[in-house]
Amino acid sequence: MEMLIKIAHNYYYMVAILLFIIGMHTMLTHSNLIKKVIAMNIMDTSVFLLFVAIGYTSGGAAPILTAPANEVLYVNPLPGSLMLTGIVVAVSITAYALSLVVKIYRYYGTVDYDEICLIRSQE
Amino acid sequence: MELTNHFPALIMAVLLGISFLSPILYRWARKASAPALITSLSLALVMAIYLLFQVLQVGEFTYYMGGWPPPYGIEFRLDLIRVYMLLVVLAVSLWIMVYALKDLEHELKTEVMGWYYTLYALVVGSMAGIALTNDLFNLFVLMEICAISACAIISVKEDRACLEASFKYLILSAMGTGCFLLGVAMIYMVTGQMNYDLVNAALPEAVELYPNNMFAASALFIVAFGTKAALFPLHVWLPDAHASAPSPSSAMLSGLVIKIYAFALFIMFYQLFPRPLLESIPLNEILLWLASMGIMFGSIFAMVQVDLKKMLAYSSIGQIGYVFLGIGLDDTIAITGGFYHLLVHAIMKSMLFMCAGVIIYSTGIRQIKQLGGIGQVLPITMFAFTIGSASMIGIPGTGGLISKWYLALGALEIGRPIFVVIILASSLLNAVYYMPIIVNAFMQQEQFEYQVKPVPRQMLIPLFVGVAALVFLGVFSRPFIVLLENAVQLLF
Repeated sequence: MEMLIKIAHNYYYMVAILLFIIGMHTMLTHSNLIKKVIAMNIMDTSVFLLFVAIGYTSGGAAPILTAPANEVLYVNPLPGSLMLTGIVVAVSITAYALSLVVKIYRYYGTVDYDEICLIRSQE
Repeated sequence: MELTNHFPALIMAVLLGISFLSPILYRWARKASAPALITSLSLALVMAIYLLFQVLQVGEFTYYMGGWPPPYGIEFRLDLIRVYMLLVVLAVSLWIMVYALKDLEHELKTEVMGWYYTLYALVVGSMAGIALTNDLFNLFVLMEICAISACAIISVKEDRACLEASFKYLILSAMGTGCFLLGVAMIYMVTGQMNYDLVNAALPEAVELYPNNMFAASALFIVAFGTKAALFPLHVWLPDAHASAPSPSSAMLSGLVIKIYAFALFIMFYQLFPRPLLESIPLNEILLWLASMGIMFGSIFAMVQVDLKKMLAYSSIGQIGYVFLGIGLDDTIAITGGFYHLLVHAIMKSMLFMCAGVIIYSTGIRQIKQLGGIGQVLPITMFAFTIGSASMIGIPGTGGLISKWYLALGALEIGRPIFVVIILASSLLNAVYYMPIIVNAFMQQEQFEYQVKPVPRQMLIPLFVGVAALVFLGVFSRPFIVLLENAVQLLF
């Protein structure tokens, strides 16, 4: 019971982990390459969500200093700014992965990994 | 403001700078682009040597990016073990590039050569950063740069096998970095810091309060670095990726890229995690057994391969196991052996891939069974291949023996003789798949029946350098071992 209450209080962590597992599972098991790329994004985004959730304090203001820091409660700005970098990295990986999928489609005529394996085994 | 103070940042700046300039140079001043890359790699190497002397003189020091001290800024830390890794990365990558200049001409289309230089400089620059950085998030960014550009130096060849292999590599390394970032989130959640030293200081208290977070983080780190460094059950991407890549890329990937992640895991274990944590979770034990399985199965898989480059790739899975074995044994001598093996294997595996590259360049052959009698037409290449294989097996006079010797000594010192048996058995297995190639190449009576193109001198000279380096490492190992022992002792 105590465990359940803890989980209910930290539900956003659970959501992030759930998304991570969905993403990872889809990425590793689905044979469609586009779905793999989408799942990769879900996985990355779940971690970004977790990071931003870590930095949030309930009732905190946006971290723009107008009054001395000890008077107003601010949200931790560091995770947010780190995740901006993380998003840029995820975008570049996605772009590269999609460009690879385009090239693979040109060579094999399919984006399904099982079919690609079949074509390769027949060569 | 003295320039020498900024060498840690300049090493990366030079390499990332040339990566931007290369395509422009290749378009407007084609003749200057290759010398420019070689010059910047050499410049980075000279700076790294200067840093080594500085570290030897004044001990370890830190460098703040942009002058911002942690917790706000990114910190580079220079201690002996990191500068050693930096030197290995820069020296070996310069050596491979000299070879690559000629080999790439026939493996790649001319118009992508400039882009290849870009990717190469990015890989080297990011690896130099991974070796030096002292900040978790910076490590994540550098790992992603390294992952994308490492995939791209495979897919740059643009044939069917390469594209498929690099996509597989990309997906699995994305999984690795995803796990790493989640692990970083777990640590950031309980410590609120990104800098290694500050995390290390905050962790003992955090582990008391939230032990589950740290269990999850350490498991995620093992998966993350294990995937990227091809630790045994997570190695599935490696054989295709390393075998289908252009030979210089294979040399780079097998020689350096997988090692830098093993090094990063080592730094996590010894500079980030506090010692009590390492002792309370059997992390070292997990690493030891995975590494041992990798050593055995890598060699067993290598035996059944018919493609020369694929065999070398599987052999890498076995050899990276030695580095992890050194880390897992958790003993000064064993870690020294592991790190010595890191250098020796970087040289010998790169050299073997170069030999494979020369064979493909000159005859177009990739199958092992077609290599009979090739020693008569390519004597220098096959001589280098012989020395490389001898070092793989661990024959006296080559570097491979020294690293295995120290690993075995370390295993004995902590009273685990089973790992000595594993090291010996794997040497035997290495002999089983390397010796037939050499014997066939030199002893077969029949004439070699395939057409042979003359090999340019620029491709053979790096092979000579490799042979010399391996023999030197086998005969005069003392200064390196002393350096490494000092470096490792500082971490305990």
